[in-house]
Amino acid sequence: MRRILITLALCLAVVGAAGAVATAIGGGSTVTRARLERSLPAAFANRYLAQAELLGRRGLTAASLHPTAMCERGGPDVPDVGAGSDWVCLVGWSDPAVPMPPEGYGKFEVAVHANDCYTVSGPSKLVGFATIEDVRGRTVTNPVAEFDACFDPAGDDTPTGVTYPSVLQPLSTALTVGPDGRTSVQVSCGAGAGGCAGTLTVMDGTRALAEVPYRIEEQATPTLVVPARVPAGAKTVDLVFASTVGVAPPKPVTLPVQ
Amino acid sequence: MTTLPAPTPTVATSPAHGPAGRAAGLGAVLAWEVRKLVAQLRVRVVLLAALVVPVPVALAISAQSQPPKDTLFGRYATTSGWSLALLILGFAGQWALPLLTSIVAGDVFSSEDQHGTWKTVLTRSTGRSTLFWAKVLAATGFAVVVLAVLGAATIASSVLLGGGAPLTGLSGQTIGDGQALVLVAAAWASTLPPLLAFTALAVLISVATRSSAAGIAAPAALGLVMQLVGALGSLQGLRTVLPTTPFEAWHGLLTAPRFTGPLVEGLVVSAVWAAAALAIAYVLVRRRDVTGG
Repeated sequence: MRRILITLALCLAVVGAAGAVATAIGGGSTVTRARLERSLPAAFANRYLAQAELLGRRGLTAASLHPTAMCERGGPDVPDVGAGSDWVCLVGWSDPAVPMPPEGYGKFEVAVHANDCYTVSGPSKLVGFATIEDVRGRTVTNPVAEFDACFDPAGDDTPTGVTYPSVLQPLSTALTVGPDGRTSVQVSCGAGAGGCAGTLTVMDGTRALAEVPYRIEEQATPTLVVPARVPAGAKTVDLVFASTVGVAPPKPVTLPVQ
Repeated sequence: MTTLPAPTPTVATSPAHGPAGRAAGLGAVLAWEVRKLVAQLRVRVVLLAALVVPVPVALAISAQSQPPKDTLFGRYATTSGWSLALLILGFAGQWALPLLTSIVAGDVFSSEDQHGTWKTVLTRSTGRSTLFWAKVLAATGFAVVVLAVLGAATIASSVLLGGGAPLTGLSGQTIGDGQALVLVAAAWASTLPPLLAFTALAVLISVATRSSAAGIAAPAALGLVMQLVGALGSLQGLRTVLPTTPFEAWHGLLTAPRFTGPLVEGLVVSAVWAAAALAIAYVLVRRRDVTGG
């Protein structure tokens, strides 16, 4: 028994030592932003064409779709490298039947594994739900809703230069008035390059109550304080965004006052 | 140790002895080891299982209402037989293949300890080096045979019993049946180098522990631990040198364009592990004192 234990301990020690050496020599993760940004659009195009075939659509090719992706991991403070389920890829493509939203892309959630393979979940608004009805009326799995792919761990790792803007959205569904009469509104700045910046104008009808300049990092949900009192009796206010960085709602957002 | 336990097939002297009563050559000793293997019920059962078990496995997975989406190729395993064969390959590489090869390689040396037959085989018939390499070759041959049987049985049962949809590759591309057969067979074949590395590891553990239980169970358990460690994203350097990583190198065959870097890397890593394990095992066998046992 002692012989067995000694042998197994030695085996584990050898594996550990080999690993320590390999780690010391420098084994950075092969999972990088650039490799994902090159691999995902190609796989997406193939899956999108498979979906088009199921739907009986013709005339689409990988070249006509011309998908491009900007991928990043976690928030602005997390390096865009390594396996994890917190990767996000913003993918834009051109399909005449499916116009892109104003920001020009859909947000794909990506779980990347240590073996250089990854699982992608697409935005149902743009690619449809998990199952679709094919051209013959059968319910089939949507090839784009979720798919798996792998990239070459030694593949091209130079930056692709693809960037997409963040999307700014108000999260608050009402304008809350604090005990001191001040009001605030919570907004979210989504994943994208450069975050969100601009000016928020709070309007009471046609009268501007306050101007709030903002500069928000991507993937953040701060609360913007409005430095003005809302007149008593006002039922609603309009939020008008003038964006310099990122994409903000193009039309005024009307919020009830509470 | 004067009595010889019954289970050892005491294959008689004729194939082991060379002409003129000299020590037998490698070929003769190999033939002797192979006959000992073939005579074992366990070896026959393992080969039969490798041939038959893929059928119920393929049926069970195809019959599931929800495909096992969390595993690579699980998403289309219920609709495409090719995907099913690759899903099973993924599981086989995780623990089944290391276990199957260990059943012979982890026992081939320690069985002589169990039966107390080292003196018999060494003093009467052949030299230690010849015996060592004959046993290693026999274990290697078994690994090749069991992989071929398991791979062929899995591909055949998956394609015949699974769904008829074409294979979806790892770049989302659709692969036609003719090419899918070549790629799936190549993917199965590509697990031979790490399988042989595990064979050598099982030989080493069998020699070092002199215990068949350890020789059979330890490589499979080590393989599982290595799989877990390799799946941790933070240990990329360690992942590269583990003999379990080449079990996944076939992924590159199913992308478009293909990549073969991991296959080459896996070949080197497997060769280093096999060479190191065999070298240590060889020294242990050469220096071992068998007169006491």
